[in-house]
Amino acid sequence: MADPFESYDDLDDIDDRLHAADPGERRVAIIAIGHSGDPAAVAHLDRMTSDPDPGVRQQVALALGEFDGPEAAAALVKVLVDPEQAVANAAADSMAELKDPGCADAILPLVSHAHAFVRMASLRALKELRRKDTLKPALDALRDTDAAVRVQAIGVIGFLKMEESIPALTSVTTDADAHVRRAAVSALAFSQMKPAAESITRALADTDWMVREVAAETLGTNVNGMHATDPLINALTDEFWQVRLKAVRSLGKMKVARAVPAIGACISHAQANLRKEAAAALGEIADPGGRKFLEPIVDDPDPEVRKNARWAMQQIVARKGALG
Amino acid sequence: MPLASYQTSVPVVVDDAKCIADKGCTVCVDVCPLDVLRISDMTGKAFMAYDECWYCMPCEADCPTGAVTVNIPYLLR
Amino acid sequence: MAMDEIVDGLSEVSCDVLVIGGGTAGPMAALKAKLKNPKANVVLLEKANVKRSGAISMGMDGLNNAVIPGYATPEQYTKEITIANDGIVDQKAVYKYAERCYGIIEELDSFGIRFLKNENGDYAVKKVHHIGTYVLPMPNGETVKKAIYRQLRRARILISNRYMATRLLTGSDGRIAGAISVNTRTAEVLVIKAKAVILCMGAAGRLGLPTSGYMFGTYENAANSGDGYAMAYHAGAALANLECFQINPLIKDYNGPACAYVAGPFGAFTANNEGSRFIECDYWSGQMMLEFYNELQSGKGPVFLKLDHLHEDTISEIETTLHKVERPTRGLFHEGRKTDYRQEPIEMHISEIGFCSGHSASGVFVDEFARTTVPGLYAAGDMASVPHNYMLGAFTNGSVAGEDAMEYADNTDFASFDAADIERERERVMAPTRREDGIPPNQIEYKARRLVNDYLQPPKVTRKFELGQRRLAEVREDMETRMIARNAHELLRALETQSIVDCADMAAHASLYRTESRWGLYHLRTDYPEKDDENWFCHSLLSKKDGRMASEKRAVEPYIVPIGEDEKDLYDKQRIRASA
Repeated sequence: MADPFESYDDLDDIDDRLHAADPGERRVAIIAIGHSGDPAAVAHLDRMTSDPDPGVRQQVALALGEFDGPEAAAALVKVLVDPEQAVANAAADSMAELKDPGCADAILPLVSHAHAFVRMASLRALKELRRKDTLKPALDALRDTDAAVRVQAIGVIGFLKMEESIPALTSVTTDADAHVRRAAVSALAFSQMKPAAESITRALADTDWMVREVAAETLGTNVNGMHATDPLINALTDEFWQVRLKAVRSLGKMKVARAVPAIGACISHAQANLRKEAAAALGEIADPGGRKFLEPIVDDPDPEVRKNARWAMQQIVARKGALG
Repeated sequence: MPLASYQTSVPVVVDDAKCIADKGCTVCVDVCPLDVLRISDMTGKAFMAYDECWYCMPCEADCPTGAVTVNIPYLLR
Repeated sequence: MAMDEIVDGLSEVSCDVLVIGGGTAGPMAALKAKLKNPKANVVLLEKANVKRSGAISMGMDGLNNAVIPGYATPEQYTKEITIANDGIVDQKAVYKYAERCYGIIEELDSFGIRFLKNENGDYAVKKVHHIGTYVLPMPNGETVKKAIYRQLRRARILISNRYMATRLLTGSDGRIAGAISVNTRTAEVLVIKAKAVILCMGAAGRLGLPTSGYMFGTYENAANSGDGYAMAYHAGAALANLECFQINPLIKDYNGPACAYVAGPFGAFTANNEGSRFIECDYWSGQMMLEFYNELQSGKGPVFLKLDHLHEDTISEIETTLHKVERPTRGLFHEGRKTDYRQEPIEMHISEIGFCSGHSASGVFVDEFARTTVPGLYAAGDMASVPHNYMLGAFTNGSVAGEDAMEYADNTDFASFDAADIERERERVMAPTRREDGIPPNQIEYKARRLVNDYLQPPKVTRKFELGQRRLAEVREDMETRMIARNAHELLRALETQSIVDCADMAAHASLYRTESRWGLYHLRTDYPEKDDENWFCHSLLSKKDGRMASEKRAVEPYIVPIGEDEKDLYDKQRIRASA
């Protein structure tokens, strides 16, 4: 009877198959080497990055995803710059799974590569590595001509959470591309500096609704968000209910009593999601002024709305009791 | 009681021109949770031998050459 | 050699810790056991292939029960689960999960598994429930299995694919001694002697028959035929609260999750034919399923997942996840029916019944160390009794099981067992291959599962259950005396059919024992419509006694997180009916 266990093949045996004349056979060998779990396999895969067959190189890029560390990163760099897009895509996905900060050395030079895809993928991979020396190249990449590259550069910077990057992040909140602006606003969340909050606040007036939505949400988590209550109250009349919803949630979290009438005005909105959040926010604020808005919706046809409305009424009563 | 077999259209389709099972590849056969794929003695290519599919897709996703297509089984299409 | 031809063979191996099932909990259990004692032998046995087996073969689109500091506390989570499970909870195991799961998330993250992070690299936890915040999306969660498998290979775990375990071996002193398995492609028998065994064999998901009639179109991975439940039963372990069935909301006919947890944070919701929300319950529970069922039965059905009120860009984002992770053929299914989320809602339905603690509470009884009632036997994941534990619970409790089992194995020797047990089991397993003529397993399975739908599906009616038991006994008789398997693959299905019939019998027996209604639709008995805390605030444990099925009560352990009188009815209070 055959060995009942999965084999841990001898790498030298597989290596012979890597030299097979048929590209299909080479692919099969690479699949086996990828599953070996043996770090020594990386050197074998590295040699295969220059295989003449693009299918083989794609398999190499996938197999390298099974390994971590500087050697794997160095081999992945070779397939990330492959002329075949399918190979480069596989390399980019494998690279995004690297965790060893030591991988950054091999990847960093690619941040200024001629192809936008390579720049984007290398920044995406650097994000998770969180190495301080990636900040400078990422800051430079904020001026990249390609928006997808700029978005990934923001990620690298945002993951590092360094206050010194705030002026640069602030500058891209007015980027020409909406995806970039969205990422920039969201990356400012961690900052304790006032200019960061001011930048997020200005984004409440962005032309793109999704940027406004992120701004309204981020103000609820940023420490200086409470300085933006008036603009947030203004956002409660945004033409997109999605933006209003996030503004309601942030104002509720911050317990802004002044916002009660404006939140109350959202209660009659046709969108049940907004009614529900408005009711919840009035409960969090627990200001007696919220009562008159809540009373009409305690029997709302939507169970979530009436659940939140009744909970909110209880909060108001409880707070009043506590205040005596 | 004697047995009869009845017809069924199988959801997993393999493109023989792309399949490299004849080169030693067994990926789709390996990954199938229901073990319904086999390699044909006649063609050397993979095929669906048993119509017992959870339409979960590892065979398609992991095929190194994009030879496998998973369709929704007819009864629930 | 003809395809799947039967080979006569028997071999024996031994190891310190044997993990059966390589889906979610199993790989983690094997990995943790090996890391605890790298010199020990750990075997991971899997009916399919560890690379892509189990409920998460194509990954998972999010965590439903992540207890992440700053968003939820272990106390809060324990309360939530206690209340959602109508109080029948041994809190120690739930609390332990809640305390440990964040560490497991960090570990999975270090394996390269991708959770949703915001632009500052922090986990982007979403608030979906009314009280706690537990949802962590995984829009790129398709690589979970790949990442875990990589870890197993690095640790050089002994992986044995395509072996189906059929029975556990127990020693004369009652301790676990190993397991017997059969190769699913050759029918060769492999005996694995072990000091400790961990069962991670998933839900009993091939119990009810899907409404499409396609036997393998189940909600759960159809490979999850309840083998673990059956094996634990035959080894004498106790199984808890099996009457608390699993029933899930799903995309009609496709039978996979619609994933309200993916679309929910974006503003999608479950709606009736009027386009309105109707679910009053907050946390996923039997009560929620009862509301779903009632709406389907009422004139307000059908029920839909409503997304058409969302913006085009938002819907595209949701689609990317839904059509890539967990059940990626969802997109193909909608395409075939020309259903566009932008134009119309998705028709939903409820699943066939099953056992699964991942979503409900039916499982092999375990304590907070994942120990079953048989010494040296552990269970984790969907088949162990820690309620509502989902994927993260499988990883976390699998890790608990792996560590404790290795500690046990380090301090014990192999239990001695009767060698005749092996021969007896081999004869039992091979019996369908020895018959010249008979009924093929697919017909027996179909009939058993059709009977499950006809007689055991809630609402549960005593008379129907009794009729169901009679019909199932007839099927069992056919299965034991007339079932044939002409090759190794058919033998695999024949053995699975035996697990299915065992589970059907257990489902019937456990349901008749608890003479009250509890857990919403999961155990709704029409002749005992009320919850009876006075007599039934307890676990029910089913086990094999003198060769027969027996049930008994077991007290709920004193709570470690007290639930205030005012909180006990929290779920009832949340179900606020419109007074108008």
